[in-house]
Amino acid sequence: MEMTMQAKKQKSARRMRLFKNQIWLQLFAIIGVVFMLLFSIVPMFGIIMAFKNYSINQGIAGIFTSDWVGLKHFKEFFGEQRFPELLRNTLALSTLKLIFSFPMPILLAIMLHEARNMRYKKFVQTVSYFPHFISWIVCYGVVYALASEKVGVLQDMLMKIGLISEPVPFLTSPNWFYGVSVVLSIWKSSGWWAIIFLASISGIDPELYEAAVVDGAGRLKRIRHITLPGIKGSIVTMLIISIGSFLGGGLVGSNFEQSYLFGNALNNSTAELIQTYSFKVGLVHGRFAYATAISLVESCVSLFLILTSNFVAKKTAGSGLF
Amino acid sequence: MKFRTKEDYIVDTVNYILLGIVAIVTIYPFWYVFVLSFNDGYDALVKGIYFWPRKFVLDNYIAFFTDGRWLSAFGVSVVRTVIGGVCTTLFTCMVAYAHSRPNLMFRRFYSLLLIFCMYFSGGLIPFYVTLRSYNLLNKFWVYIIPGLLSYFFVIVARSFFSELPPELMEAAKIDGASDLGIFFRVVLPVSTPLLATMLLFQAVNHWNSWVDSAYYVRDESLRTLSYRMMEVINKSNISDAMAQSSSAMAQMAEANRTTSFSLQCASLVVCIIPILCVYPFLQKHFVQGMMIGAVKG
Repeated sequence: MEMTMQAKKQKSARRMRLFKNQIWLQLFAIIGVVFMLLFSIVPMFGIIMAFKNYSINQGIAGIFTSDWVGLKHFKEFFGEQRFPELLRNTLALSTLKLIFSFPMPILLAIMLHEARNMRYKKFVQTVSYFPHFISWIVCYGVVYALASEKVGVLQDMLMKIGLISEPVPFLTSPNWFYGVSVVLSIWKSSGWWAIIFLASISGIDPELYEAAVVDGAGRLKRIRHITLPGIKGSIVTMLIISIGSFLGGGLVGSNFEQSYLFGNALNNSTAELIQTYSFKVGLVHGRFAYATAISLVESCVSLFLILTSNFVAKKTAGSGLF
Repeated sequence: MKFRTKEDYIVDTVNYILLGIVAIVTIYPFWYVFVLSFNDGYDALVKGIYFWPRKFVLDNYIAFFTDGRWLSAFGVSVVRTVIGGVCTTLFTCMVAYAHSRPNLMFRRFYSLLLIFCMYFSGGLIPFYVTLRSYNLLNKFWVYIIPGLLSYFFVIVARSFFSELPPELMEAAKIDGASDLGIFFRVVLPVSTPLLATMLLFQAVNHWNSWVDSAYYVRDESLRTLSYRMMEVINKSNISDAMAQSSSAMAQMAEANRTTSFSLQCASLVVCIIPILCVYPFLQKHFVQGMMIGAVKG
């Protein structure tokens, strides 16, 4: 008994010594923990607001002291007149992006891989991921210069070649919002995500291609039977990731920023998403608890989607993310 | 040597043309804005400028750099980019260095907390309430402090530091250096490639960010360049569509030959140029950085 007591004492003394020895390292790590507590963990408690009657004047303590209201905010949101429209916009934009934007990086990677001229390939690739580093605001400005009714050069070009007879309200009509958003997400992010697929393609054993040539397989057949199966793993992984962030716009992301920037009074009926609505209700109208409830609904749907897609991937492709 | 079939020629030709279109579609929008920014503002309202300025002037840039509001926004963006880039890089490296030491006590707890914070967040509104209670709203530091620790780069830097040869640190330790001294005098100097990458990425993030300027700041003198631009473009977009533009334009008309639109183009170019300048360096490093991100999910 005494022995174990002594051993325990010795052990704790050793640990104290070790701790003192690495006091600076511990300090570094603890500062990190403090940061995470202040800027990640504390805000997480704010989610409680969604079930409370909170007003911003109550400060951060009010999150805990304010009255519980149960599911009142959720019921109000689901019963709201605009709810069906918001849900439709969010789902429609996300689905369109998954269908049209997701395959583009794969296509671009295959095209780049098939290009034989190395300098040309390098040039196109370098150019293609430049828009990724430009903010959505700048993109918005550029698109405005290009496609707005009044000054857009694209309008002018399309009229010259006779495709349209009068300016098309690309940026100010509810009919165009989905299309413009999907095209822009492709333009901005395809080059960037193609990097991953290109890296994956370059991991394919070259002997497979040589064998296929001997067997008389042409270029398209080689793409179909070697390249595509070779990168199936990456495609599945990226697909799970993009379904996990489905409501945010998937891989190409930025539903919120697009809706916030490209949405205006004229195209609001298709441009308003759950995310932007929550933002407006919260920060503009000051209904913090209600807005938190709205975004909690969205987070729950996202979590459900990522778990489901991971489960399906495990069952069908044999491997998931976790 | 290799026999090329008819299919090869067709595939190659189509492929090269498509890739060419990709390149043009990517470059041309930026080039067009660049051209307009050097063109006389009123002349630009008449259609027909495609590839080259018709009436070359520098008025748009002169107007940009003499307008107090634009200039102050530009200044705020530059300052936050420099301070934010340096502080985030140093702070993140510091935490990552501690996390990378194999004999660190509570190491598992630290890294679990990190991963938890990386994947879960309270969302925008609770974050806003938190910042408000810390009294950070409407202050310049709201741009810097909440972003000091980049969770993603802690993981990147951690794996970089853990691959440094341990002899390096041991030798310094025998010479009597503390971990603080080792970090600043031994580890950081040998990690310049990592520091450069992180600095560039953080700087680009800071330069581009507008969300915090839109949400957390109301003081006009603290607005960033991106935010100012959004405001101006939004205004002109709406006013165009509502067909009030002619009167708005008339109000804008001044002695110099700029319109709000041509000024906008100049501001876009001012926003793009710094990124274009660091692009070659970014490009050198980011493929690797991105693959780490992909592996870690």
